[in-house]
Amino acid sequence: MTLTATASPDRAHSLQTVLRTAGWIGLGLIAVAVSLSDFLAAAPANAAGIGPLLAPPSETLRFGTDILGRDMLSETLHGLSATVRSALPATLVTLATGALFGFVAARLPRALALSLHGVVGILAAVPALLLAILIIGLSARGWAGVAAGLSAAPLAFVRAFERAREQERAAHSEYARATGISAATLLRRDLVYEFSDTLSSSAARALAAVAITTSTLSFLGFGAEPPHRDLGLMIAAAKPYFLHAWWTAAFPALALTVLVLCARLAAGLDEGERA
Amino acid sequence: MLRFVSREAGRLALQLLGAILLAAAISALAQPRARDGVLSFLFAWAQTLNAFARLDFGTSSISGGTALGELAAHLPLTLGLVAEGFAAALIVGVPVGVLFGAGPARRAAAPLVQIASAAPIFCAGLALAFLAANLLHWPVPLNDGVKSGLSLLPASPAGLRAAALPVLTVGLAGAAATQLAIRRAAAQAAGQPWRQQLRRMGLSGWDIERTYGLPEIFAGSLVSLGEVMLALLSAAAVVEWVFNYAGAADLFVRSVALRDWTVVALILLVFAGLTMAADFIGRSVARALCDPGGTP
Repeated sequence: MTLTATASPDRAHSLQTVLRTAGWIGLGLIAVAVSLSDFLAAAPANAAGIGPLLAPPSETLRFGTDILGRDMLSETLHGLSATVRSALPATLVTLATGALFGFVAARLPRALALSLHGVVGILAAVPALLLAILIIGLSARGWAGVAAGLSAAPLAFVRAFERAREQERAAHSEYARATGISAATLLRRDLVYEFSDTLSSSAARALAAVAITTSTLSFLGFGAEPPHRDLGLMIAAAKPYFLHAWWTAAFPALALTVLVLCARLAAGLDEGERA
Repeated sequence: MLRFVSREAGRLALQLLGAILLAAAISALAQPRARDGVLSFLFAWAQTLNAFARLDFGTSSISGGTALGELAAHLPLTLGLVAEGFAAALIVGVPVGVLFGAGPARRAAAPLVQIASAAPIFCAGLALAFLAANLLHWPVPLNDGVKSGLSLLPASPAGLRAAALPVLTVGLAGAAATQLAIRRAAAQAAGQPWRQQLRRMGLSGWDIERTYGLPEIFAGSLVSLGEVMLALLSAAAVVEWVFNYAGAADLFVRSVALRDWTVVALILLVFAGLTMAADFIGRSVARALCDPGGTP
């Protein structure tokens, strides 16, 4: 008996490929739904009185209605669109201030690099959600997307920093230094290889993290503001009555979970790994 | 070993110093003149640091009491939630990590674990509340609008029911982090060259795993203790909000909303300190397990 026996590498790799492909297909479908949300939704955002109040799912109203008689299917589509639209810039913030800055910081003079790593390490010791709330408190509620991106950045910074340090110790770096290639040229080369290899998975990983953070921020009242409701705000609005009208919270929660799941699968994350 | 612990302790001290500087910078914002310019802010920051050195963490602008008093009133609930959530995380996370840590079970469980861990904590908390209210007919304190305390050492079935949901929600978040740490450590241990060498020496598979494999996996899991603590603290913040409990994480959220920077700074300092301490303990114990002989 071997506790740590591993599956054959080929089968494990093919499963990983299948899961990643499924994740990207899912993200593609979500992108289509988001860009066509105004066309696909039967009712415009926040249109009240479409059906009876708190009507359960039926043939005509497939996701039911909420406390104002809004069509939950349309609202979920609009909410998903709002969530993705706020998560995309946040993902860019995470990539720029986390992955890119972390990689470049590792190649700065040693003392400066270690100081930066230490400072970011302190921020990484604070739960990302609380860090995002603090950033919003110090700026403004409209900055929720940026705050979510910045709160996910310390973890991305640390990962990129470690990878850059590994590459600095790799054989190709030693050859480059021995042949007189400058540090700046080597950094440019490593950056190109790093981002061509990992950009898609880093972006998907960041998208999963910021989608959770932006939704949780809205749920806690620090993110989206009415009338622009994202999925987190929809779930928060359903909190007073979802125990008796499950569909008001279940469908937005399901849409959010599917978005996060697709992003995690596309990133090739290990099961349960923190995004 | 001693050298390692000394180095880690030095690192912890530096990190704590950084966290104190950050907390003082936030707390300085409570001073009226701190936003007048860079110099005014630096002056306020220095004053706050000086006060911190005297263990004076300022006054809450909401309650009028000391920030330390506010923290003392709210922190026990959060710490209790985290401690009991950690116990629940071990009960759920360790078997999941061990069962699905290797072999065909890992492949089979991968999509299911992905789906289960993709749900944000607030969604998981609401789902548990829905199941408890509708299937078990438990009272769920979601919508009474009044922040209340919570007995984490319940003496009656009603108290047990009240504590079960928040603890379970925090525990599930911790379990996701725990099982990941175990499976990551198991995968790392699987690639170690000593396994084949010990086999050549005539040791059975079970002996190798019992004597060398399990301690290695346990030690590898402990290295992630800081990550588990982060997951538990995040979950506690959401759970206190969802279930209306007046803990320190809930106080943090309300204090940011009301710009009560002295309380915000103190809670941030305590949470960062907890994560750093967990990381330090995890790393040191892991090192002791892997290197019991005390090689420097």
